[in-house]
Amino acid sequence: MAQYQNLFTSVQPVGPLHDGVELPRGDFKRIGKPFLVHLFGRLGNAQIGPIYLGTLGLASLIFGMAAFNIIGFNMLASVDWNPIQFIRQLFWLALEPPAPAYGLGIPPLQQGGWWLITGFMLTMSILLWWARTYRRARQLGLGTHVAWAYAAAIWLYLVCGFFRPIMMGSWSEAVPFGVFPHLDWVSAISLRYGNLFYNPFHALSIVFLYGSVLLFAMHGATILAVTRYGGEREIEQIVDRGTASERAGLFWRWTMGFNATMESIHRWAWWFAVLCPLVGGVGILLTGTVVDNWYMWSVKHHVVPAYPLGSPVVVDPAILGVKP
Amino acid sequence: MSMLSFERKYRVRGGTLFGGDLFDFWVGPFYVGFFGITTLFFALSGTMMILWGAAMGPTWNVWQINIAPPDIAYGLRFAPMMEGGLWQLITVCALGSFVSWALREVEICRKLGMGLHVPFAFGMAILAYFSLQVVRPVLMGAWGHAFPYGIYSHLDWVSNTAYQYLHFHYNPWHMIAVTFFFATVLSLSMHGGLVLSATNPGKGQTVKSPEHEDTFFRDLIGYSVGTLGIHRLGLFLALAGVWFGIVCIVVSGPFWTGAWPEWWSWWLNMPIWRT
Amino acid sequence: MKMIFKLAFCLGTAVMLSGCERPPIEVVQTGFRGTGMEQIYNPRTLVKQAPLNQTPVAAEAASPDGPKANQVYQNVKVLGDLSVGQFNRQMAAITQWVAPDQGCAYCHNVQNFADDGKYTKVVARRMIQMTQKVNQDWKPHVAETGVTCYTCHRGNNIPTQVWAAPKDRKYANSLLGDLAGQNMATKEAGLTSLPSDPFTPYLMDAQPIRVNSSTAMTGAGAYANRASTKQAEHTYSLMVHMSESLGVNCTYCHNTRNFQSWEESRPQRVTAWYGIRMARELNNEYMTPLTETFPAHRLGPKGDVLKVNCTTCHQGAFKPLYGAAMAKDYPELQVSAKP
Repeated sequence: MAQYQNLFTSVQPVGPLHDGVELPRGDFKRIGKPFLVHLFGRLGNAQIGPIYLGTLGLASLIFGMAAFNIIGFNMLASVDWNPIQFIRQLFWLALEPPAPAYGLGIPPLQQGGWWLITGFMLTMSILLWWARTYRRARQLGLGTHVAWAYAAAIWLYLVCGFFRPIMMGSWSEAVPFGVFPHLDWVSAISLRYGNLFYNPFHALSIVFLYGSVLLFAMHGATILAVTRYGGEREIEQIVDRGTASERAGLFWRWTMGFNATMESIHRWAWWFAVLCPLVGGVGILLTGTVVDNWYMWSVKHHVVPAYPLGSPVVVDPAILGVKP
Repeated sequence: MSMLSFERKYRVRGGTLFGGDLFDFWVGPFYVGFFGITTLFFALSGTMMILWGAAMGPTWNVWQINIAPPDIAYGLRFAPMMEGGLWQLITVCALGSFVSWALREVEICRKLGMGLHVPFAFGMAILAYFSLQVVRPVLMGAWGHAFPYGIYSHLDWVSNTAYQYLHFHYNPWHMIAVTFFFATVLSLSMHGGLVLSATNPGKGQTVKSPEHEDTFFRDLIGYSVGTLGIHRLGLFLALAGVWFGIVCIVVSGPFWTGAWPEWWSWWLNMPIWRT
Repeated sequence: MKMIFKLAFCLGTAVMLSGCERPPIEVVQTGFRGTGMEQIYNPRTLVKQAPLNQTPVAAEAASPDGPKANQVYQNVKVLGDLSVGQFNRQMAAITQWVAPDQGCAYCHNVQNFADDGKYTKVVARRMIQMTQKVNQDWKPHVAETGVTCYTCHRGNNIPTQVWAAPKDRKYANSLLGDLAGQNMATKEAGLTSLPSDPFTPYLMDAQPIRVNSSTAMTGAGAYANRASTKQAEHTYSLMVHMSESLGVNCTYCHNTRNFQSWEESRPQRVTAWYGIRMARELNNEYMTPLTETFPAHRLGPKGDVLKVNCTTCHQGAFKPLYGAAMAKDYPELQVSAKP
């Protein structure tokens, strides 16, 4: 007989909306009257708003909107201002970094200059938003763990778009703004540097990426499995262990021989998620600056498996030196 | 004994799917159960076979050990042991042990009075393995399409299989799957961070409440999914990532043989805007 | 409300699935088992491509006896030492291959066959020489199979798959929206965002295609590999073209774990290496010098001559016409004329 799995809320009790924990003096007032969206309430909270818009948030939005518009208008211009073609080719369009010939110099506006300006605007926006995540936590008397997790992602962003291009001496090494174009960049860097699968930091980063997916599936499922005991009330369970945490822990102990606690699972989660971009950024930073061919690097370190070669062995025609 | 301070009261009989009381016991912290026995059987056999395959191979270097599937020419038949047959037996043992593990998780859930969400989620991962090693090869007519068992050799398979379609990033289901994967790692970092920030608020602060958690995200982005919602969302994002990963690879080959960028021609050639 | 969502979902799914193919498929393994090196074909697609690769039946060989063509006809600069019978047979074949609808009048002034007034005759003469050159000097690419006019033309005045320098966009000189030669959906780039003209640098100019280092660590100074990530995109674009032209994928030539290694590559890669150089020679020695000969409507949007790339001959097949040996029936096309 069918059992309720607590995946969607079937009955939503509606009470007074929450204006948020009081903020200390010196902060602005929150913006917007909170309202409910029934559809959201089927999965999580139904309440939308209020939002806090302080100095940092406003500045971040301004820089972010500037970047967004520069990208958008350049894309629109690249299809000769035709809005229909803009929508049709949207995934293919891009704002491209300067060509390799310009090195780290300032290129003409239309040949990479816009990209540099956008990169600066977007970076400012991201850093200001980071400061916002830090400040909002501090103002509410919370730890700054979310901000530091965000910092790991910013590290990867800066490696790809700033640190590595500078170390390579060329803005052209950076990522273009565009859906398919940024995927072309991913392929190109792997092609140029001897197959990124053989970059051990890349492999480790993937371990943490897949590991994060595994962990969130495990953690999400575990909590849902014990919501009948109030498992989702994690803070309370951490300071005062109840039967939900006990059953959750024992499930994993009996399954795999060890377990986390209601608090420590969130440390596993934080570290796996943070190590993905952290380690990945290291791998990208080393690519082209220290290692020029990751496959050959792996051969040097004796990790490459051998397959039987074709017979006769193929020879590079260029070294034969003979024109037909 | 390896029991936690509160564990004894939970060690009751019952919850088994098969075998009744016969295997309803623990070894150290591990629950056994009938499916613990089958797990051990399949896992040990499979591991022994891998070790034997490595012994028959050119190296014991753990990064280089490779146990390959049969040639395409063998189709869906059973191949000679040294020509891929071993790979086939190992795959059977893998599936046997994964399914046994999942069923053992079901028994443990039932015993602990928990929902079956964890074995269900694990089932999605098993489905991914099964799709890669069974469903797709069967649809394509040969076991040789599956990936080999080897740390770096399986990556060579990924690289070549992807380049069969010239530029795999353009596979739309791959794009969706990757988006779900990155969204999962993003939201995991946010959830882990949020709970830790409330319970570890820093020197001189008191432990905070779920109202603080909600307020933080409402202040930040105008919405907080909440303590129950985040676990539903996290499970959904993770499973959706795996699901679309399954779709993206099962489609590649059986239902699409060309270059993935070419798939987008239906969009580009729509009568309203084709050039 | 719910009905609308259901309808939209069904419609969306139908649209997305409409591009799909279905099993069973055909597979050719091109590497060690488990490496994933395979060619995958949809037999239904192959059936659709088959008519394009049918070869016309060759007329019975003419007798070599009798006076030579350059003794009987005027202004015969190529194929002159064929017998009249052989010469006319070759002319009939060329007409069938290049101008089946217009007939002899496509190239000739029918009042005076010797007259060079029509540009098509001048071009055809040079193209006969080009065909002979390919068959004689490019055996590392075309082997004993060789080519004829039909390989490219397939019954068309202009081969369907040629290229010219791409047109600039309308506001190319504006302050915004520089495409940098890529980032549009073009057929030339195989619908990727990769550079849309891989032909000028690699099939006309001799820009280096290789980007990989053969050493693990980054070199310094003279040992540094100066190829950029952007350059890899240009090479990738050429490779996409080559793959699409032959209806094959990257693993036809490469083991993608180590693209640069010739040891780990297949012999087909050597054939392709020669093909690139052959295309360069054809474009630079034969097509580009004919630019002034062609009228404006036969040139590209920037006024350059239409040129050859891999698709021109291959047209989606791993060997043009699936390797049918047409040239063997026309020995006069297999050797360059003696001076």
